[in-house]
Amino acid sequence: MKYLNKGIDEIHELLKSKKIKPIDLVEEAFENIENNKELNAYITLNKEEAIKTAKELEDKEVDNILFGLPIAVKDNICTNGLRTTCGSHILENFVPIYDATIVEKIKEKNMIIIGKTNMDEFAMGSSSRTSYFGAPKNPWNTNKITGGSSGGSAATVSARDVLFAIGSDTGGSIRQPASYTGIVGMKPTYGRISRYGLIAFASSLDQMGPMTKNVYENAVLLNAIVGKDPRDLTSANREEEDFTRFIGKEIKGMKIAVPNFLMGDVVSEEVKNKIKETIELLKKNGAVVDFIDVKYLDQAMILYQIIAMGEASSNLARFDGIRYGFQAENVKNIEDVYLETRGQGFGEEVKRRIMVGSYLLSGENAKIYYNKALSIRDDMRKEFNKVFENYDLIIGPTSVSTAYDLTDPMDDPRKSFMDDVLVIPANMAGLPGMNIPVGFDKDHMPIGMQIIGNSFEEAKMYQLGSFIEKELNLDLTPGGEK
Amino acid sequence: MSNYIPTIGVEVHVELKTKTKIFSNARNGYGQMANSLTNVVDLGYPGTLPTLNEEVINLAIRAATVLNCKIRREMFFDRKNYFYPDNPKNYQITQSRTPIGYDGYVEIEVNGEKKKIEIEEMHIEEDTCKSAHRGTRTLLDFNRAGVPLIEIVTKPCIASSTEAKLYLEKLKELLFYCDISDCKMEEGSMRADANVSIRKNESDPFNTKAEIKNIGSISNVGLSIEKEIERQAKLYDAGETFKPQTRRFDDKLQDTVLMRVKETGNDYRYFPEPDIPFVVLTDEMIEEAKKGIPMLPDERRKVYVEKGVLETNANKLVQNRPLSDFFNTLLEEDTDFKIASNMLLGDISAYLNREEKELSETTLTKERFLELVKAYAEGTITSKNLKDMLDTILESDKSIAEIMKEQGIENITDDSEIRGVIQEIIKNNPESVSDFKNGHDRALKFLMGQVMKETKGKANPRLANEILLEELKG
Repeated sequence: MKYLNKGIDEIHELLKSKKIKPIDLVEEAFENIENNKELNAYITLNKEEAIKTAKELEDKEVDNILFGLPIAVKDNICTNGLRTTCGSHILENFVPIYDATIVEKIKEKNMIIIGKTNMDEFAMGSSSRTSYFGAPKNPWNTNKITGGSSGGSAATVSARDVLFAIGSDTGGSIRQPASYTGIVGMKPTYGRISRYGLIAFASSLDQMGPMTKNVYENAVLLNAIVGKDPRDLTSANREEEDFTRFIGKEIKGMKIAVPNFLMGDVVSEEVKNKIKETIELLKKNGAVVDFIDVKYLDQAMILYQIIAMGEASSNLARFDGIRYGFQAENVKNIEDVYLETRGQGFGEEVKRRIMVGSYLLSGENAKIYYNKALSIRDDMRKEFNKVFENYDLIIGPTSVSTAYDLTDPMDDPRKSFMDDVLVIPANMAGLPGMNIPVGFDKDHMPIGMQIIGNSFEEAKMYQLGSFIEKELNLDLTPGGEK
Repeated sequence: MSNYIPTIGVEVHVELKTKTKIFSNARNGYGQMANSLTNVVDLGYPGTLPTLNEEVINLAIRAATVLNCKIRREMFFDRKNYFYPDNPKNYQITQSRTPIGYDGYVEIEVNGEKKKIEIEEMHIEEDTCKSAHRGTRTLLDFNRAGVPLIEIVTKPCIASSTEAKLYLEKLKELLFYCDISDCKMEEGSMRADANVSIRKNESDPFNTKAEIKNIGSISNVGLSIEKEIERQAKLYDAGETFKPQTRRFDDKLQDTVLMRVKETGNDYRYFPEPDIPFVVLTDEMIEEAKKGIPMLPDERRKVYVEKGVLETNANKLVQNRPLSDFFNTLLEEDTDFKIASNMLLGDISAYLNREEKELSETTLTKERFLELVKAYAEGTITSKNLKDMLDTILESDKSIAEIMKEQGIENITDDSEIRGVIQEIIKNNPESVSDFKNGHDRALKFLMGQVMKETKGKANPRLANEILLEELKG
């Protein structure tokens, strides 16, 4: 009997009525992962501990809807006692002695962490192919990329190994792989979720979020992981709210903007057509959809490169082999410790970004590039604010195309930024962005639509997302029902 | 050696006396076991984030206020990026572009003239960890990592080693009095760097400067400045020049030693710290912080002298913070401040030194001290009585009157009893009486001595003196 492809309400009832136990779900998850081993979705499995936790839960009351449910966590999120590699050789043997705040919250709900998912090294990439542990594969076609950087999380949810995964999104790393693998991925408003324990890539952009098979489950998981955290000064102090509260509500009268930039020439016809079909569906159901010009969107990718690489060059400076992590052998002096440890410990993409970032912050460059980027970013935020004075939500495609081949060349470093050109603006403005599947291309690879909301208006995004999900009623299980 | 005009600027790092560190909740302490006061945030572990200790902001506002700085209302932190083993994140969180305080001054007195040493800026930052070299190995102690610092930078306006020393002494006194820092140079809670250059004429542009780092005491700051002026003068006299450089003061050589020649383009890749949002100081925060500022040393000295305390005693009191604080509690009272200061600096200080105690560890209260001063002023007790009673006064809660009674030093204040004794003495010492009448003052002292001897020191001296004069003249 399989349970993990069912909805969480049904599973919750089964657990509550003691028809199944958490251990059944945990065993099923590990069985699924074993069967889907080829996907390379995980860097580390938490088998022993997960089984132990599941058994301990048998004596506890099933007190919340997430109780006893298996979850996968991206490997840049610190888990106490469980190896956290960030997809890198330099942290290959790093075992944190602390939980990220998001992990504490997951554990408070008595969810069970199944393992740590594969990702681009330090989340730097858009195909998960920069992982030191090899690229994960797309469950819809194992010759294709999962997207990235949260590729492992996307793959394992898409393959229905587990119900939930946590991803992180600095420049689209939740939404873009979600679109490639046909799942729902939410990057909440910057500050919604404490970043304490998330290994920083670009501090002013990083945000974690839920990756799930449907909108409702996404909102339920988000309920559990948000909140102000005294350990993260950038976390937002918001009143508690139920993100599922608008799910199932009408969208009649909803005002939706489609920035022309998101439907530009870089986007493939197939993707554009699918988005247009969805727009027609929305109009038919009473939503107002306008195509508008939004300034600065075309510059978001450049700004992103400057800010993300600048911050990354500083954030990754701590990996020097002195206090933790990999340290190169046979070093002669302190200079050598740095050069060899970091030279051997980091992969090519990470080194490239550290170098470019260091250059961008050097001397006068900081003013010319970084400070200027911050100021244009403010302008971009203001521009988005103007849009939200007149519209409830912004929509467009998530990705310019569907997932491409794992064997496609990686020799153009700009390619990975181009992949994210449509998702980066939300990060730059700190806005919430979500992917929902809206159909398939001719090779039956998923196409995703992006919904961008005003700050802290995730609930409204779920409202629209769930409406589309219900109307389209797509079969989103790779290879059909298992 | 020809004459040159020195230009000196001083940078001081002061560790703030907070309970916890600036960006983590690890305890801020000195002299503890290595790496016992540290946590994953101080160690720069992956995923950890800085928090901001409000106590630091509070103390920094206080410091900016007493250094007469303007206070910035909106500020952020910057990352200063450089690789070094004592720098756990390989960036230091500091304030480069928006220092909390700027355009201040500290007033010193040089040869009787007042001079303002101008403060360019003061900013908040975190301390690095401490490295110890053992042979080929380097050991790291992270107890100091993340200890809050303020760095105070003067303008190049200091003209001599004497001025530099006076400035540092004044700075130390101010920060210590405001409970901002221990200011113990020997423990590194106050560290000074001096920038020195010299030139021939006031109208010449500034010459190349040398920075002397981490000087361990105020006197060594003076000495190293003098040595550095001498070294530079010799070079210029010989027609030589030197490159901008960092030097240190060597205790054994009693001279400065080259550490490194400064490379151009030292590039710290500063950028705003994205993990800490803007800090906005409200009027309330500033007012609250200023409440922590006690009466400052200069003010104390002035008030004490106004109250009749000798200038030397006023200085001595200010140098002893606990005594001065105690003394301040008396200021509103009607008492003899001269006697009070003498008593504190004399017998009471002697007791504290002997017993190795703080004033707060004794039982002395303001009320009992006032009682004591009053008794002494009125002549109810003599200085000998005071010495006899002092241990009991400082170690019990009994009232002064009670202690006097217990120790049998209840002085004779009965007019008729003393008069009787005096009349008897006058009768028995006709020679001294006639000496007195012939204008020999010494005779009076002798006769007083006799009174005291006869009463076993119990006669109220003032009263006895009055009666004796009356009887002699009568």
